[in-house]
Amino acid sequence: MSSTPLARRRPADNPFASGRIEGLACRLRTVTWPQLIGRLDLLGGRTALVGPKGSGKSTLLAELAARIDGEVIEARIPGSCRDPWSFARMQLPHRVACEHSVFLDGGEQLGALAWTRLLAMTAPARRLVATVHAPGRLPTLVTLCPDVLLLRDLVRELAPEDAAVLDPLLPEIFCRHRGNIRECFRELYDLYAGRSAARHSA
Amino acid sequence: MLTITTESGGTWYRPGEIVRGSVTWRLEEEPVGLEIRLFWFTSGKGTRDVEVVASRSVERPGLAGSAVFELQIPRGPYSFSGRLITLSWAVEAVALPNGEITRLDLVVGPRPVEVAIG
Repeated sequence: MSSTPLARRRPADNPFASGRIEGLACRLRTVTWPQLIGRLDLLGGRTALVGPKGSGKSTLLAELAARIDGEVIEARIPGSCRDPWSFARMQLPHRVACEHSVFLDGGEQLGALAWTRLLAMTAPARRLVATVHAPGRLPTLVTLCPDVLLLRDLVRELAPEDAAVLDPLLPEIFCRHRGNIRECFRELYDLYAGRSAARHSA
Repeated sequence: MLTITTESGGTWYRPGEIVRGSVTWRLEEEPVGLEIRLFWFTSGKGTRDVEVVASRSVERPGLAGSAVFELQIPRGPYSFSGRLITLSWAVEAVALPNGEITRLDLVVGPRPVEVAIG
C-alpha cells in the first residue's frame, strides 16, 4: 500500500473530529426532501428508516425532523441502554397527541413487546418515524445503503486538501468496516492523529 | 457584526486571572439581549463537552454599541491537546434571539501555549 504523508493534527484540527462529522449534511441521492416528506405522509405517517450501523440513519432522521411542521418529539435510545423501553418512554410526553410527530432514533433496540407498547402509545400521533436495522416493523420510508462513493464524497468534503492521498485508501477502509461510515471516519481520525500510521505505511 | 477584543490585546491567561475586554456590535436585526460567555469545550474523537464558567448579559443592547466585560477564569482546566481531544477556552458573544455569534479563542495555562499531552 502507498504511504500516507498526512500531517499529524491536534484533535481540534482533525478533519474527522466528531464536531465536523456532525456538521455533514445528509446526502439524498434519489429523492428530494419534499418528495420524502410526501412519501412519509402517503405511508400514513408511520414509517421506518432502515439501514445498518453507521449508515446515516440518525443524521437523516434528525434532518427530516427539522423539516417537519408541527410539534416534533425526538427520542433516542443509545446502543448501550439496558432498559430501552423505559429510556424511550421517558423522552415521550405522558400523553402523545394527534399534533405530535415522534422521531425515534434507535428503534432496533426495542424488543417485540416494547415495540408493541411504542406503537400503542404513539397511535394518536400524526407521525412516527423510527430508525431500524432491518425492514418489517413499519413500512420502509428509506433504505440506506452506503457505498464507497458516498464515503469518498463525505471524505472530500471533510478533507478536500488530502483527497489525493485519502481516495486510494477508502475502498479498503470501507470494506474493513463493512460499510459502517462512522467507523470509517474513526479510522480516518486515527490516521490524522498518528495512531495507526503503520497500517497505512508502505 | 460582533467583535470581541481583550483589554490587553492578548489571548493567554493564567488560571484565576480575569479576562477584561469589550464587545462591539452593529447588527441588522434589533436584539433583545446579548450574552457574553466564558467557556471551555472539547473537540476531537467522540462526545463533545462544554462548560460555561462565567457569563454576563446585556439587556436591550440596541442595533449598535459596545459593552465591557470582566470574566474570571477558574483554576482549571488548562488548555491542552492530546490524541483524543483538545480542550479549548473561548469568550463568545451571542445576539439573542437570532443567534448571531462571534468567538475569541483563549489559551488558559501556565504558559502561552496549550499543554501537549502524548
